[in-house]
Amino acid sequence: MAKTVLICDDALFMRTMLADILKGAGFEVLGEAQTGAEAVVRYKELKPDLVTMDIVMPDMGGIDAVRAIMKDDPQAKILMCSAMGQQALVIEAIQAGARDFVVKPFQPSRVLEAVQRVMG
Amino acid sequence: MDMRRFLDLYIAETQEHLRSLSRTLLALESGSGDAVGEAFRSAHTIKGLSAAMGYGDVAQMAHKLEDTLQAMRDGTLQADAQLIDSLLREADALDHAVTHAVANLAPQLDGGAIATTIVPQSTAVAALAAVPMPERTTRIAVVRLHPDAPVKSARAMLIVRGLAGRDGLLGSHPEEYADDFDGILRIFFTGDVDEGSIHETVMRAGDVDTIEFYSPSDIAPVASTTPSPVPPARGGTVRPTRHVRVDEARLDGVQESLGELSILQNRLHIGGSARNGDVDIVDRMRGLLSELQLAVLTMRMVPLSETFERLPRVVRDAARMCDKEIDFRVEGDEVELDRSILNELSDPLIHMLRNAVDHGIESPEEREALGKPRRGQLLLRAERERNSVRVMLEDDGRGVDRKRVMAKALKLGLVSASEAATIPSDEEVFRLLAHPGFSTADQVTEVSGRGVGLDAVVNRVRALGGAVEMHSVDGAGTSFMIRLPISLALAQALRVRVAGENYAIPLTHLSEAIELDGMISMDGDREYVRLREDTLPLIRLRRILLADRSQAEGAAVIAEMGERRAALAVDELVGREQILVKNFDSAVGTLPFFSGATLLDDGTPALVLDPLSVMQGR
Repeated sequence: MAKTVLICDDALFMRTMLADILKGAGFEVLGEAQTGAEAVVRYKELKPDLVTMDIVMPDMGGIDAVRAIMKDDPQAKILMCSAMGQQALVIEAIQAGARDFVVKPFQPSRVLEAVQRVMG
Repeated sequence: MDMRRFLDLYIAETQEHLRSLSRTLLALESGSGDAVGEAFRSAHTIKGLSAAMGYGDVAQMAHKLEDTLQAMRDGTLQADAQLIDSLLREADALDHAVTHAVANLAPQLDGGAIATTIVPQSTAVAALAAVPMPERTTRIAVVRLHPDAPVKSARAMLIVRGLAGRDGLLGSHPEEYADDFDGILRIFFTGDVDEGSIHETVMRAGDVDTIEFYSPSDIAPVASTTPSPVPPARGGTVRPTRHVRVDEARLDGVQESLGELSILQNRLHIGGSARNGDVDIVDRMRGLLSELQLAVLTMRMVPLSETFERLPRVVRDAARMCDKEIDFRVEGDEVELDRSILNELSDPLIHMLRNAVDHGIESPEEREALGKPRRGQLLLRAERERNSVRVMLEDDGRGVDRKRVMAKALKLGLVSASEAATIPSDEEVFRLLAHPGFSTADQVTEVSGRGVGLDAVVNRVRALGGAVEMHSVDGAGTSFMIRLPISLALAQALRVRVAGENYAIPLTHLSEAIELDGMISMDGDREYVRLREDTLPLIRLRRILLADRSQAEGAAVIAEMGERRAALAVDELVGREQILVKNFDSAVGTLPFFSGATLLDDGTPALVLDPLSVMQGR
């Protein structure tokens, strides 16, 4: 059975790109979220195997979304997607419970390596 | 370990290497010796020191410089003027980066964290040396992240998290990650350690380059500095003398207290002479006090090199801008001077050097046409001369065009038509050149600038108690000599008596002393002294000091201020001595003619007369 993923990013371009990469690796994209608050709701609803989470999103940021999701499901596997120069935020996200991170601009191979580590 | 303790050391050492860097980069241009190697070593050392302090940006800049120098060393890059321009700019930027880092960032890593990302050969042992280790540590895993791994600190956290719950895990270093975490993680274990399984877990965390295991005994007990793959500089830059850094204000404080003490001692001396037994003790005290005062003065001394070191760059930049080819040499920069004087000397020197480059030395073509070597010679040398320092600046350029100076002086109304027709002496030429607003340059150039003339130089040097002289030979060059006291507080003075009191007059503003007998002439109610060709106004100090004027003065000293000269009449010339001046700021309207007070050789106090304010206040 294919692994499932929820993609959270406010940019359509990023969601599309991530979806492409992950579909290529055999994931089924269960859904997408454009804000942190939406991500929390969608996670509860969909219970995906993997979540990719942008750090800076409107409404509720990615880090707060991680906290909320982890509170709900401590086993959640969340992969942070950060832009360059967001070290402090990445560290905060990991402290909040994110399993790994990738840095934009995405290289598919690095995304897949990280996904493998998270799923491993 | 608190790296702040090392900050002063870092600053001192980095400054030294930055200076050496700019010196050797300049030497590169003349293709001398092992300049590349030396510059490389300086850049390398700055990199290592900065990385150890956690100043990643500085380290990266030094690294870039080092790369370029390496390429030059290997012969893949040729040292031409453009390359050296850009290297000098990089060195400047590096200098700024160091200043910026020191001013804005606390040292960010504790202990020997040597950036392996840029010094891949550095051994883990050295990187470990200064790291605090939990007590029961038996095994240490040194994990290096890929140099290009993103967000290394986050990766390090993930690695440590991956090991959480393992038997024997004591902790890791660093425990908290700064933005510029260098990518070396040390993990401490105790007891039997399954290295294979740790290896596997760590590698699985991603972005790991290597993992190595060490025992605590592998680690040198002393904090080692950056291991250097570069051989140490020849000739040894090691200084066996140990230095302490002292706030200048503290030295001033000591000097002040010593001054007060001298005055008390003097009162003992005067009052105590009645009691015979104490005289020896009082005398000995006086000896010790003057020794102490000299010792404090000596502490304020710094070598001229502190200012001179920046000058080759000034000359080079000026020469590039004027298309001149110049060999600049510095001699005697080990001579020492009071810091406050040295600080003031920098601007005048830079002005004079630029002048020499712009106006003194001819273009290479012009020189060749004259049968001179293409490259102009510019020599800056300093000599200690008893209690003064002579700084000489000599060029082998065209010399001062006396006719042009006179023509200009005539136009400005500084000389008469008949005077303008004569060939002026060096002194006359210099006096004219130093006249405010006088410049022989037809155009203001970018190099010698505008507004600041030789008059500013002369005034600055005079304010320091010094004097400037010039000597010029047509077609062969010009030399300037600046004479400066080695200390603002220490001066050579002439001791004179006026109306029964002793006064000291610093020699710097005096040209000579004369007997007054039969030399005074009158013009209306003004008195003059005829001195050789000149007629100088006579100022009677008895009148200035509001003393009894029934007695006639027997002698006079000639005071000079730029072009102005005057004879100051005194009762008696006692002799010349070295005095320690305690400066004071007189309240407005009181004692306007005195710059300070001193104790004379025999212990009597005396006021220090400022001949310039006497001339002005006449």
